[in-house]
Amino acid sequence: MATARMTPGADLPPPRMTTGPAGWARANLFSSPGNSATTILVGAVSLYLIWQFLGWALGPADWSVIPTLGGTLIIGQYNSETVCPSQDCFWRPQVSLLIGVTFFGILWAVAATALVRGVALTVAFVSAGMALMPLPFSEMGMDVRLLLLLNIPAVFLGYWLGKHTPVSSTRNLIIIAFAGFLLVYILLGGTVFGFFDVPGLQVVPSRYWGGLTLNLLLAAGGITASLPLGILLALGRRSNLPFVKFTCVGVIEFFRGVPLITLLFMSQTLLPLAFPRDFPLDEVMRAGIVITVFSSAYMAENIRGGLQSLHRGQTEAARALGMPPWNTTIFITLPQALRNVVPAIVGQFISLFKDTTLVFIIGMFDILQIGNSFIGSNREFLDNSRELFLFIALVFWTINYGMSYVSRRVEETLGVGRR
Amino acid sequence: MAEPTRSFLTYQGIPVWRHAVIIKWALQMVSAVAVVTLVFWFFSNIAFAINDREIPFGFSFLSRAYGTPVPEHVLPYESTDSYGYALIVAAVNTIVLAIAGVILAILLGTLIGIARISSNWLVSRLALAYVEFFRNVPLLVQLLFFFYFILLLPPLAESYNPFGVMYINNAGFAVPSPMPAGETAFAIAWGVVALVGIAAGFAAHRSLSRRETLTGRVSYPLTAGIAVAAGIAFAAWLAIWALAGEAPLAISTPEPEGRFGRIEGGLRVRSGAIVMLIGLVMYTASFIAEIVRAGIQSVGRGQTEAASALGLRPVGVLRNITFPQALRVIVPPLISQCLNLTKNSSLAAAIGFADLTNVAITMTQTAPAISIFLIIMLAYLLMSLAWSAVGNLYNWRTRIVGT
Amino acid sequence: MTTNGDAQANGEVEDIIIARDVHKWFGSFHALRGVSTTVKRAEIVVILGPSGSGKSTFIRTINRLEEHQRGEIIVDGITLSNDIRNIDAIRSEVGMVFQSFNLFPHLTVLNNITLAPMKVRHTPRAEAEETAMGLLERVGIPEQALKYPAELSGGQQQRVAIARALAMQPRIMLFDEPTSALDPEMIKDVLDVMRELAHSGMTMLVVTHEVGFAREVADRVIMFDEGMIAEEGPPNEFFTNPKSERAKLFLSQILH
Repeated sequence: MATARMTPGADLPPPRMTTGPAGWARANLFSSPGNSATTILVGAVSLYLIWQFLGWALGPADWSVIPTLGGTLIIGQYNSETVCPSQDCFWRPQVSLLIGVTFFGILWAVAATALVRGVALTVAFVSAGMALMPLPFSEMGMDVRLLLLLNIPAVFLGYWLGKHTPVSSTRNLIIIAFAGFLLVYILLGGTVFGFFDVPGLQVVPSRYWGGLTLNLLLAAGGITASLPLGILLALGRRSNLPFVKFTCVGVIEFFRGVPLITLLFMSQTLLPLAFPRDFPLDEVMRAGIVITVFSSAYMAENIRGGLQSLHRGQTEAARALGMPPWNTTIFITLPQALRNVVPAIVGQFISLFKDTTLVFIIGMFDILQIGNSFIGSNREFLDNSRELFLFIALVFWTINYGMSYVSRRVEETLGVGRR
Repeated sequence: MAEPTRSFLTYQGIPVWRHAVIIKWALQMVSAVAVVTLVFWFFSNIAFAINDREIPFGFSFLSRAYGTPVPEHVLPYESTDSYGYALIVAAVNTIVLAIAGVILAILLGTLIGIARISSNWLVSRLALAYVEFFRNVPLLVQLLFFFYFILLLPPLAESYNPFGVMYINNAGFAVPSPMPAGETAFAIAWGVVALVGIAAGFAAHRSLSRRETLTGRVSYPLTAGIAVAAGIAFAAWLAIWALAGEAPLAISTPEPEGRFGRIEGGLRVRSGAIVMLIGLVMYTASFIAEIVRAGIQSVGRGQTEAASALGLRPVGVLRNITFPQALRVIVPPLISQCLNLTKNSSLAAAIGFADLTNVAITMTQTAPAISIFLIIMLAYLLMSLAWSAVGNLYNWRTRIVGT
Repeated sequence: MTTNGDAQANGEVEDIIIARDVHKWFGSFHALRGVSTTVKRAEIVVILGPSGSGKSTFIRTINRLEEHQRGEIIVDGITLSNDIRNIDAIRSEVGMVFQSFNLFPHLTVLNNITLAPMKVRHTPRAEAEETAMGLLERVGIPEQALKYPAELSGGQQQRVAIARALAMQPRIMLFDEPTSALDPEMIKDVLDVMRELAHSGMTMLVVTHEVGFAREVADRVIMFDEGMIAEEGPPNEFFTNPKSERAKLFLSQILH
């Protein structure tokens, strides 16, 4: 006979040592004798190493090499006497930074999420915060600190523009990104691709651009251009026109098959020969082209992966509605594919930013080359090479980790992988 | 009544500008003409420039004597050897570095990848910290850091001397290693027999595991296989000792020798190679760790549960269920990491290890740069193809129907 | 294994599963709140209850896929504890069938079934394969032996999963919603196999919403609610005349 028995079992608290800090430690650190031993051993070793490192970093380590290099790490020889005789050129990279920060402001208005707001404000405040650092700015002419502080109004200006002007459509954003990039390029060079010089600006040939500015410039240009180029290559590879398909396969596989360094060397030896003698293509642009194409070959493969992961039903549904093939691709397939591969695309951006250091090997003065040649020519700083390279590593790490953090958060909000 | 069409612009009764096949071919033609024109323009410019600006180009230099030392070489090399042979020596250096790097990076990466999913919070956090640090810092920055780190070690005369048998200084490391004791031929002979022994060990393992599955009798295949291999190697050792009166190999310990205290004996690795190896392995391992973690996590919890419910022990679950399935997810991206490591070995150009790129850059001072770079690009393409072939072979062998 | 042998030598234990005041927490969530019941040899027990009521968790404690934190579970005379030997003995004694089949996708149907007997029991391959073919015959799909799971329909996969569990010759079979992931026309095939198994004298614990199956086959129905046994009894009585309000409400939701 059926018996109803609800008597035992009120909502009891769990047994001791399974929740709270003690329970957490038991479950995650001391769940078994082996685990406890591992925890103690690994913990002791890492504590020792951290102690040793801190002991060095706060004690014998001499970080003065970084302020000694100071602004050179950021702009290289740009403002030196040979390049800019009046030594008042420092404002140009700074205005470029302001343009970049303004663009972040626009992005903040467009995306309108806490995450993008956080990124935009962080970039603005970090840029402004440099004004407070003990860098020898005073030797560089105009009051550069004030220009740095302007980054904070700049981000809000960008936000205002994004909210109240029609800049925020995707098409306009792309146009603005390219236009902003060209503007920065002309501002830094003081010349419109060698055709005519901008009056009142000292011409600074691109071989004198340097420091972190060069890395950021190459990365920004590469990121802006490699995404559309990668999309084209990916679509070309999936084209049903054999010629287009095999050309794209050839380009992708060639650029993925050789090291970037060899391509960079070719960009300085072979590439100038491929154009007429007075073709306006300077060293930085040539390196930028090669880095961009190299990166877009990888980008194309990521995007192709995204395209392949889509259900055929999506295309078929769109075609059944009477959409022509190209519209189907642009409005249905591509947005979904791109959304699915956001992490891979950001990974490729990070990769590209890291790859900008390779211009070191063809003798361009990026941040790494500046550090390296400084130590090479000032032997008294040889002992401080560890401090210097740790600092450079930290600069790259911060930017890259920031990018991957943002990508992970975007991934969570877009629900990538949950279709 | 159908709309009248002019006959000279129709195909199969359809105006050509609406005919799907014609449009397709027209697009093909247009794109082909555009690409061919562009390529032709580039190449005619290059050809013109080579003549006009007297840019050196050609491949006759390959047979000339190079006349420059190649500091590290696995193959024998003299300065009198040709450019062509020097490039081969450098390519072999690259290949050796790449293979050593790949093996070590897979070992370290797998270890860290497993640590990433450890139930021990401390271990998994440390593994995460490792991954996040090393993959977000450019490899070249890491290489330069290690380069200067080793440069700041004490010089030869004040070498660190751990355990009294190793030498660590700013020129490189020297560690004890087995070396031929007398005649090299004896050592080689023993090596060959030992390899045969290992093959026999594998054969024994295979046949005993077969017996185990067929009869169900526990046959200890792993123990027996190791015993067979070790037994044959040991017997050969004794035989050579008895016949030749000396052991085939002896441990050679590095010793400072001569007036300048140069270190002789043992296994000596120059600093360039060490920097490259450490840098490539630590950097690539951070990527491999993530691949391994994703692979293991791709095997659903249901699989482990089903296998445990059937009574398999954790090791058996790992070996028979988790590992084979994870491997199918892991191998393709792993191959592309191997390819990346091989290409990244070209950063030796900045460090001073005589890899293909480094030697090529040195050569450009005395030979046509464009020709040299065309050759080494081709060499790297071949190495990439070799890795792709490995990947395809794996895919072909592990094809599985369905998901 | 010795415990198992002793039990057989002493004559069979009548109460094959004994659960006394079983408690289980996930973090601070109290999932099982003092479950006590006994299952007799060859008894067929159907477990019902709303989702989240702890019914799956309970049968997963019986082969220790979940660890209980208070109380006592004795399976065929073996007390479940952290002793690895006991866990191994019970796992090869208790077969389990999952809602999502959990077949091994990289192995053929035949290898799915022979894996555990060969690796755990060291059964010779020929013998294991013969048994496997016999079991596939029994579940009605011998012709699928050399296919991979992904090539089979859901119903066929679930029948392979049953054959895989039976290959270890268990004394108890646990079914965790075996038909919930199946299309209606395939449910019958799986239930037929389970019905046949029930008549062969197997001890079975079945978590299911198949009321027809419960009425026809079960010796006893247990209803779980909020981590407790809300009501238990013979199916006729439970379905026609439930005692508790919770059971009445639940039945009104699942019948029709």
